[in-house]
Amino acid sequence: MSISRARALTLIAAMPALARCAFDRSHVRVGSKNFTESFLIAEIYAQALENAGMRVERLFNLGSTQIAMAAMARGNIDCYPEYTGTALIDVLHLPPIADSRTAYDVVARLFAQRYGIVWLRPSPMNDSQALATTREIAAARRLTTLSDVATAAPHLRLATIQEFLARPDGLPGLQARYGGFRFREVRTYDIALKYRALLENKADVASAFTTDGAIESDRLAILRDDRHLWSAYNVAPLLRKATLQARPAIAHVLNGVSPAITDRAARSMNAAVENSAADPADVAAAFLKSLGGRTDRP
Amino acid sequence: MVRYPGADRNAVDGVSFELHGGELVALLGPSGCGKSTLLRTVNRLVPLDGGRVVVDGRDVTELDAVELRRSIGYVIQAVGLFAHMSVAQNISVVPSLQGWTGAQIAQRVNELLTLVGLQPAAYRNRRPSQLSGGEAQRVGVARAIAARPRALLMDEPFGAVDVLARSALQRELVRIVRELETTTLFVTHDVDEAFRLADRIVVMRAGRVEQVALPLELFDQPATEYVRDLVHAGDDVYRRYFMHARELLRSAIG
Amino acid sequence: MSYFAAHPARVAALAAAHLELVGVALAAALLVAIPLGLWAARRPKVAPWLLGTLGAIYTIPSLALLAALVEWLGLGYTPIFVALVVYAQFMLTRNIVAGINGVDRAQVDAARGLGMSPLQIVLRVEFPQALPVLIGGVRIAAIAMISIATLGGYVGGVGLGVLIFNGLTLHQTQMIVAGSLAACALAIAVDATLRLAEAKARIG
Repeated sequence: MSISRARALTLIAAMPALARCAFDRSHVRVGSKNFTESFLIAEIYAQALENAGMRVERLFNLGSTQIAMAAMARGNIDCYPEYTGTALIDVLHLPPIADSRTAYDVVARLFAQRYGIVWLRPSPMNDSQALATTREIAAARRLTTLSDVATAAPHLRLATIQEFLARPDGLPGLQARYGGFRFREVRTYDIALKYRALLENKADVASAFTTDGAIESDRLAILRDDRHLWSAYNVAPLLRKATLQARPAIAHVLNGVSPAITDRAARSMNAAVENSAADPADVAAAFLKSLGGRTDRP
Repeated sequence: MVRYPGADRNAVDGVSFELHGGELVALLGPSGCGKSTLLRTVNRLVPLDGGRVVVDGRDVTELDAVELRRSIGYVIQAVGLFAHMSVAQNISVVPSLQGWTGAQIAQRVNELLTLVGLQPAAYRNRRPSQLSGGEAQRVGVARAIAARPRALLMDEPFGAVDVLARSALQRELVRIVRELETTTLFVTHDVDEAFRLADRIVVMRAGRVEQVALPLELFDQPATEYVRDLVHAGDDVYRRYFMHARELLRSAIG
Repeated sequence: MSYFAAHPARVAALAAAHLELVGVALAAALLVAIPLGLWAARRPKVAPWLLGTLGAIYTIPSLALLAALVEWLGLGYTPIFVALVVYAQFMLTRNIVAGINGVDRAQVDAARGLGMSPLQIVLRVEFPQALPVLIGGVRIAAIAMISIATLGGYVGGVGLGVLIFNGLTLHQTQMIVAGSLAACALAIAVDATLRLAEAKARIG
């Protein structure tokens, strides 16, 4: 068996995979990042598209913003939910913008220019950053605002995720804006395990997001951002320009759904999945159902 | 002439003799003398580095190797029955390769089993693992002659068979090849076997032929000292007696 | 266990997709491994080198190889498919070489002398006798592939891995357990089936 025959055979062997890839072109590929909220919102998008009669392939659990953007650039996914704040800071490397409208306009313009990615209509839901602590610790150490934490930090252990330590509006931003914030111990966790560290007394303060389901828990307290460090983080569907041009119906459907996702809706959906172990597919379906006739059809 | 890669002399050199139709010729010699190599040049299992092998007036290198081999029977010491096939399937190999019909093959299998002394009904569906050494080689012979080849090559065919069964097999072989008039070339290191079976004997040593002659001639007129020592070794008297008996039989049968 | 009860259709669908992925990848891997194994079996000098190389590839952590493939091939079905085909090579080729070389040389010599063409020798003598060993290799490869295929859930692929990785993200243990148990069940079922086939090939 000569080498070239072996190569030919490998090509033949790869056919099923290639065929499948070609077949997949007819699907809309929806991505998500690897935390609950991204998952849920992406699932909402996916089901809305399916309800409108389209075939959807889900590529969820993408490891980070970088991976998701790379997947968009390569065409591995057609759309995924992204946050204005994340886009501003992590992708465009611009300073945070607290005002929702302004933040959205900036990212929409620059993404279209630089990446050929279109921002569809945003959700009112604002998943900004926060620091959370337990009510016991807040009482014991008199913590209500971030300034309080800044000074008390040397006595406190921080539980956070890797991104928080690296991003300019994460720990570095806090230190710059507030001074202080030199924690006694800083440990990184998987997004899913962060609150457990707090609740199991392995940490005193945890970085958080304002729509985290865990916040609904009555054991936790959010500390107020008194110096307005943090950006707006409204979520919107990102869509590749090429896909938009080929199938404008997609934008139609997603624009019908996105404006309906409020802070409250987000929090209760997150809580359902994280606290009550509900299946995200069920939660998303319930949400879409509650919208009734408000989702547009192409 | 055959030389194996890396060898410091030719494995076979300066050999020249002819077989006559229907003859049974033995290649006799010690191990390493090149007799098996020579045998395997006939069906092109071993390529020639010089000289020619001619079968039925045709140079073997002009023929398609696979076709050539199908027209010549081949039996080896280890028998080499196909372990995953039944006795009948083993025997059917060459006929089936040549496209005989199922009915033709079935009939031939029965014929052959009878010819080699195995009862067809009992043996058709047995597996090689269920056969004794002697039975296995009988099947091996049946397999080799299944497609009615005009020639038969045998490489120490009875070497792996126990001594008691061996003489029975030797007698049967002679009977079979006489009956079928198959030209047979067989390799052996056993002088007695050669004398018992062969019409003519080719004595070989170190790749070269020492003498080609009738058994009696080897005995009475050895061409070299080596030949003389070879044929007179061991059971000398018995051999002489045996050969006289054979000559008498031959002249009686005619 | 309650995830099974709540979503039996979903688990079944994912299990079916998982099995399909492994099955197709195994078939593709065999298409490569069989000629490769036959070629190597005839060349005793080359075979150890080839098997050594494949063995070295096999020790690359599957996640690392998958990440590299994603870089090259993008997300989804393709990189996990290719990873499975690559990993299967070692076990399959090794068993094919062992199987072919394990065939009695006398039978091959007899086959040649009787007038079988090289292809006929492979098909009629060597392959049938190497088959039990080959099926053994397929069995081992299949089980390993069922496990490795769960990584597909990490890169947007198909199968039970999706359940496991979703479960990790959403920190829902039920999903993880369901995915893992289903994968185990698949592996056990495949193992049992192929053991039967192996035994049958031996007798037959």
